[in-house]
This record gives sequence, C-alpha cells and structure tokens, in this order.
Amino acid sequence: MEKILEIKNLSKSYNGIPALKNVSISVRAGEIHGIVGANGSGKSTLMNIISGNPVIRETGGYQGEIIYRGSRLQVKNCAEIIRLGVGMVHQEFALIPDLTIGENIKLGREETCRFTDRLFGRKYSFIDRRRNNEIASQVLKRLGLDVDVGVKIIDLSTNTKQFVEIAREVARSDLKLLLLDEPTAVLSKSDALKLLEVLVGMSRGGLGILFISHRLEEVQYICDRVTVFRDGEVVSRYKKGEINVTKLAGDMVGHQVYKANAQKRSVKATPVLCFKKFSVKMPGEEIKSLDLTVYEGEILGLTGLSGHGKLALGYGLMGMYPVAGEVIFKGHKLDRMNARTNIMKGIYVLPDDRQALGILPEHSLAENIIFTGDQVKYLFSRNPLGFIDWKGAYGYVEQAVRDFEIKCSSPKQRVKELSGGNLQKVCIARALTVNPQLLFVAEPTRGIDIAAKEKILKMLIDINRSKGTTIVIATSELDELKRVCDRIAVLVKGRVFKILYPDSPDLEFGLALAGEEGANYEGIRQDEELPEGLPEDLCG
Amino acid sequence: MREYVRMRNYLKDYLRIYAGNYRIKPPQIIILIFLLTLLILARVLEMDLVILFNESLVKLVMNGVLVLSLLPMLNAGAGMNFGMPVGITGGLVALCISVNFRLTGFTGFFMSLLLSLVVCGLFGWVYGLLLNRVKGREEIAGTFIGFSIIPLMNYFWTLAPFQNRQMLYPIGGQGLRPKISLDPYFSKVLDNFCLLKIGGFDIPLGLFAFYALICLFLYLFFRTRIGRATLAVGENEAFARLSGIDIAKIRLIAIALSTMLAGIGICVYAQSYGFIQLYDEPLSMAFPAISAVLIGGSTGRRAWIFEAVLGTYLLQTIYLLTVPLANEILIPELTEILRTFITYSIILYALLYRNRRGIVH
Repeated sequence: MEKILEIKNLSKSYNGIPALKNVSISVRAGEIHGIVGANGSGKSTLMNIISGNPVIRETGGYQGEIIYRGSRLQVKNCAEIIRLGVGMVHQEFALIPDLTIGENIKLGREETCRFTDRLFGRKYSFIDRRRNNEIASQVLKRLGLDVDVGVKIIDLSTNTKQFVEIAREVARSDLKLLLLDEPTAVLSKSDALKLLEVLVGMSRGGLGILFISHRLEEVQYICDRVTVFRDGEVVSRYKKGEINVTKLAGDMVGHQVYKANAQKRSVKATPVLCFKKFSVKMPGEEIKSLDLTVYEGEILGLTGLSGHGKLALGYGLMGMYPVAGEVIFKGHKLDRMNARTNIMKGIYVLPDDRQALGILPEHSLAENIIFTGDQVKYLFSRNPLGFIDWKGAYGYVEQAVRDFEIKCSSPKQRVKELSGGNLQKVCIARALTVNPQLLFVAEPTRGIDIAAKEKILKMLIDINRSKGTTIVIATSELDELKRVCDRIAVLVKGRVFKILYPDSPDLEFGLALAGEEGANYEGIRQDEELPEGLPEDLCG
Repeated sequence: MREYVRMRNYLKDYLRIYAGNYRIKPPQIIILIFLLTLLILARVLEMDLVILFNESLVKLVMNGVLVLSLLPMLNAGAGMNFGMPVGITGGLVALCISVNFRLTGFTGFFMSLLLSLVVCGLFGWVYGLLLNRVKGREEIAGTFIGFSIIPLMNYFWTLAPFQNRQMLYPIGGQGLRPKISLDPYFSKVLDNFCLLKIGGFDIPLGLFAFYALICLFLYLFFRTRIGRATLAVGENEAFARLSGIDIAKIRLIAIALSTMLAGIGICVYAQSYGFIQLYDEPLSMAFPAISAVLIGGSTGRRAWIFEAVLGTYLLQTIYLLTVPLANEILIPELTEILRTFITYSIILYALLYRNRRGIVH
C-alpha cells in the first residue's frame, strides 16, 4: 500500500527540554493510524510539526525527516499544508460563529454561479448559495447528522459543532490525509460512535487518517495500527488484532493505572448548604428553582446531560450569573452572591473551563497557586501594602508541588506551559490555600489523561477525608462519580430530578438522566430492556 | 546557516536571561536599523554627537513619565490610554495655579505636582467611571473623551479668573495665553538640579533621580496586593472575578493612577520645555507616548517598565536626530512630517499586529 506520510527519526525540543525523541511512524493510504499517550507525551507537538504550526519554527525547528507522498515536506505555515491535501480537525473549534453551517463547511471553496464566473472572474463571482447548501447537507447526511444547514454555528451544541468541523474537512475533494486531534473528546458516546463509523468508511475510500484520542476503546475499535507515546518516545506499536485497551493503558503510563475509589460510608445528614428555589441564569446551562441540600463532610455528585444546569450551581454562588432564590450556608442566609464574601465564608468554586477561568496563563505557577489566598485572605504577606513574603510563599508552593506531584521545572515556570492535568492540580492547590469548607468542582477530569485523572480524583477524596471538606463535583462522567461520591444528584432541566447512591443500578441512572420517572424501581427487573429512545451512553 | 541559528538562539537565551521574558520583535528591529542609519548619517555630516547625546537624556525623562503613565491602565486591561489628554489637562490646571501664585523654583514645581495629583485624581476617577461603562472599547472611547475634554477646557482657559499678567493675553488682559513661559518660575528646575558635567557630557542626575523614583513607584505598585490584582484583571478578567476581585474597583484605581501619572508627566515635560502649552496642544500628546511603549516591545495588551523606558529612549532619540539631519540634507519641513509618520505608523502596526494575533489564537 502507498505510504502517504512517513516520519523518520523526528526530534524536537523546547528550550532544551525534549518533547519528541527519535520518533518514526508512517501512515498508509486507507489506514487509520492511532496515536495514544498521556498528556505531555508529545502528541500535540507531533501534530504541530506536521501541520506546520509556526510555533515550531519560532522555537528552533525540528530534526528528522517528514516525507509526504514521496517528497520531503517543508511547509512554512498551515495554509500550505492544507493546499497539499491534508485536513486537520482540532480539539478547539475553528468555526466562524456568525456564519451558517453551510457557509462554514464551504468556506473558501464556495461553488459560484457560472455566468458571473465568466463575467467577473471566479474570485468576484456570485456564490451559488443553494448549491453550497445542498453539498453541505449531503456531507452532513453522510456523517449521519440531520440538521438544517441554514442554522448559525453560534446556536449549535458542542456535539454538532464537532460534526460540522469534521464535515468541513470531509467536504474537500482533494483530501489525502486527515489529522484528528481528539475529535471525540467533546462528543457523547453515541455520537462518537457515529463519527467513528464515518471515519472507517472514509479510510476505506483510500484516505490516510492519523487519529489521536484519549478514549482507548475507540482506538481499539477503529485503528489498523496504534503507536503509543510516552515522554516523547515511541514505547510500543500494535497492529489490528493485537490492540488491547489494558495493554495500551499500561504502555501509556508505564505502570499499572491505579483507580481511585472511595470507601463506602454513611454521612450524617447535617446540612451545610441549602438551596431553596434557587435559579441561575447561565446561558445554555440554566437552573430553575432548584431545591438541594448538601450535607456536611460528604462528597456530592451532580450530573445530568449537558445543558441541564449541572455547571451553573457553582458559578451562581460566585455571582458570575444573575441568581434568584435563597441559599443557606451553615444556618445563615447568603444575602449576596459575591465571590469575595463567599470565599471568605468558606465556599470555593473550581471552574470547568480551566483555560478561560481557572488560570492566569502568563503568571508563574507560584503566583497562580497563591493568588486567591493572597487577594482574599491576605495570606503570604505581612505588611499593609501587601508585598509578598516570597520566601514563605515559595515554601508553601514547593510543598504543594511535592504533595500533589505537579510536574514543573520550577515554581517560577509559566503556568501556560503545563499540561491539563497539572493545571487542574494547580487549581486545586489554589483552592486549598483558602481552606474552604465547601468546594465546588466542575468537570475536574475533562481533557485529562487517565493516569492524571485518577490522581485528581484521589486528591479530591483525600481532601475530603483528611480535612473534612465538603465537596460537590459536577461532571458528566458518571463512572467517576460512582467511585467517588456519597450521593449523586441528577439534574434534569435545571432541577434536581432524583438523588441516587453510588450503588444504585445503572438502569436507574439512565432513567433519571433522561428524566423518566422510574417510580418504583423494584418493579423493574435489572435485565429488562431499556425504554426506546434512551441514549445508550447514559447507562454506563 | 546552522551557525547562524545557533548564534541567534544563544543571543535569544542571553536576552531572555538578562531581560526577563523580553523578545525582540519586528518594530524594534526596524527602529534600531533606522536609528543606526541616522547615527551614521550624523557622523558623516560631522554633527556634534555629544550634544545630541546630552539632549537625548533630557528628552528621555521629559517624555518618559508620560509614557510610564500608560502602564497601570494597560496592565489592567483597559487598553492604551488614548484619553491621556484628560490627565494632561489636569496637570496643566495645576501648573497654571502654581504660576498664578508666582511660585518659583522647587516650591513651584512640587506645588504643581501636588496639585496635579489632586486635580488628576478627581479627573481620573470620573474618567474611570466612564471607561468602566464602555468595557472592551476603552481605546476608542478614551480617544473621544480626550477629544471632548479639550474644547471644554478651552472654555476654562479663557474664562478662569487667573490674575498673573504674564499668563494672560497682553491685549485685553483676559484669557490665558496659548504658550506661557516658565522662565521666571521653575523652567528647567529639575534639568539643572545636580547636573553632572564630565568633559562635554552633561548628565542630569536630578532629572534621572526623579525618573527613577517614578519607575520605582510603579515597580513597587505592581508588587502590592492591588498591583497584583491589576495584572490579574488585565490578563484574565473572568478568573479575577471568580477569585473574588472587584473588577470595577481595580480598574478605577488603575485608570485614576494612570491619569495622575499623566499629570505628573506633563509637569516634568513643561519644566524641561520651559513653557506651559494650553488649548489644543494636549490633544496629540498621547500618540508619541503610546508609540513609545509599543516600540519598547509591548504588544498593546501589557507593558513593563523596561519596555516603556527603552521605547521612550529609542523614539525620542530618533525624533532628536531627524531634526538636524532633515535640516541638513532635506527640506526642513520634512522633520515634522517624518515624526508624525513614525508615531502614527507604529500605532497602526501595533493595532494590526494585535488583531492578527487575536484571530490566530
């Protein structure tokens, strides 16, 4: 089979720190080549090199050879590589929010009216909107998505956006190689499955695909070959048939993955926080007159489908969005949802969007960790003007780095250079400086590789057990909640639909998430079939 | 080729270590080349480089405080202070009051500083309240606030009951003159304080000490709790809000501080220049200052003291060199054209560069 892409002895380092060491891989036509690795193992660097991201040249280029369809690849920017027939789908969306689906898909490759083509030249010709939309909707249908192409991107859900992004690449007729960087990270399992089938179909048609994913089952499911990266090196390669999720996971982290698991226990029902008819106007995640009681010292899980309000609770408490209703914290009513006063009272919220809300990217690791403690509780400084006592602060930060095993070159390293898992650890370390009694965590493991994921869950359990901190975790990862939580509240349409326990049967979770009243579940036998129309991923 | 890359990397590392995270960008390279050409030309035309050097030192501080005044606002995420005329007119009011009471020497100068802190504090507070209502569009709003305060103050200059005859129009005796000489009062009081003469070189130590004091003040400000909060607000406002920081208050402090520093800046400028310039003069003073901080390497989103100082020196030295050179080899009128061209095109470059970054990342 023809080799589309061949990479020989590729090495790359940033400021003397190696990111890739002697990597060789190849992609043949009609093959899906999977790449798995923990965060920081060099996958993104590889992507950046192939796609000609200017970052690589700015930091001193790379060593080694990349051969693309028989000739050596030397690209200066992303536009060139796109012209050569390489498509890319990134984790972050590169869509224009104010254009419609159809316009986004055909952007830059619009069909034009033949008459005006001749009149004004192709560049100034009128766009044949109807034909564009037709083609766009055909492509989307091929991807198994039935949606009106006239809808603007801004109004779409994350799932659909990802499909549009992929559709844009698929719609190209000159596509030879497709690079996918965690295309399914934001998709639900059923949607991901749909996407994977499309990918398999495309590769049958002779397309080479380089597929990066955290979800090992997917890799096992669709890849013809898999290369495992660890610390910038290729540690193992597998062919179809040999691929095995446990083996991949083992290779990725280099040792057995420890699964965080909280001991079952019973928590006394002393309320620490009561929501009464609480509403939060967070666009797309609205909470409407919710009643919920959080008990002292417990770990409470909040789950629900996206858009049903599980993320809004914490933000509402911090006054990020307009709220209504009553909140009682330790017997006293919170009269104003103000981040400062609530942090002083002992409530802390860790955001789901770490990049946008959780860090100061240009500041150092140390400055990020001490920020809230310094600003709100005036820790780390001993004078009225608030000059930091750096000796004490670095002592504290170094302790935190050791305790939480934050991987960094020094506490002075800029925090934007850290990987997702380490960023989350920094966020948690920052929360602990103010010693909260109640900690809200939203999507703590989103975009983090398995090994780091378990460490973060374990951190949360440890904090809860050793300090007695009450923790509320809002996430869609039901499996994680079941391992960590004492109780799990399922939100539907911005209200608590049902409170379940980790040992409640999967079926009941599924029903609750879908908003189906499973009234008395004793009546439903475990082996009974699921009601129709229920998304299968909800049932774990 | 490989040697070159290695050399370049070495140089970059060297700069990184010795100038923090400083990186040389295209505008600095262009300006440096331009400056070198000018220097070579000056040498060829046998100009007195020592005198030019002496003047460049004075020019640095004369304009330097105005440039430094941009930093608090810039780092609080309120953009480049195109509304600097607000602070400048505040400083001018203070200067006029000092002159009105015929205060001379350091008394006059420090009285102006004190008064401008008061007046600009008030102006800056109102200006800050306005800018807090137009979040995200501070630069364009600032430009127009600057434009509109000028005619308002023109009324003030003509109608305010100043008594000192030397300030007023000679005929009619009402309304301030557009250009008030500071000669009898505190002209060059800082310039000549502790002036060190070594050979042909004049080092204005007093002027430098004052400049260093302002730099030190800003350095310390960004290390106080409020200063750190200012940087955080500028870098990630949502993060700061979630961490319990009162965004409006911090921005207000930063904007008021910028305005107050602009007031001090115009006092320093006026004593060096020897005149108080009223009416439409403050209108165009924001642009060279903004241009300077951009030449220093700021992207227009945040700036450091080092960048402000370096930028001021580069820009002012170029201004300084173009005058005699243009007189010598070109038509004299070209100087002003060149100055304006450099100033505005650098701001334009920064705006272009910044917007492009916004799309890519």
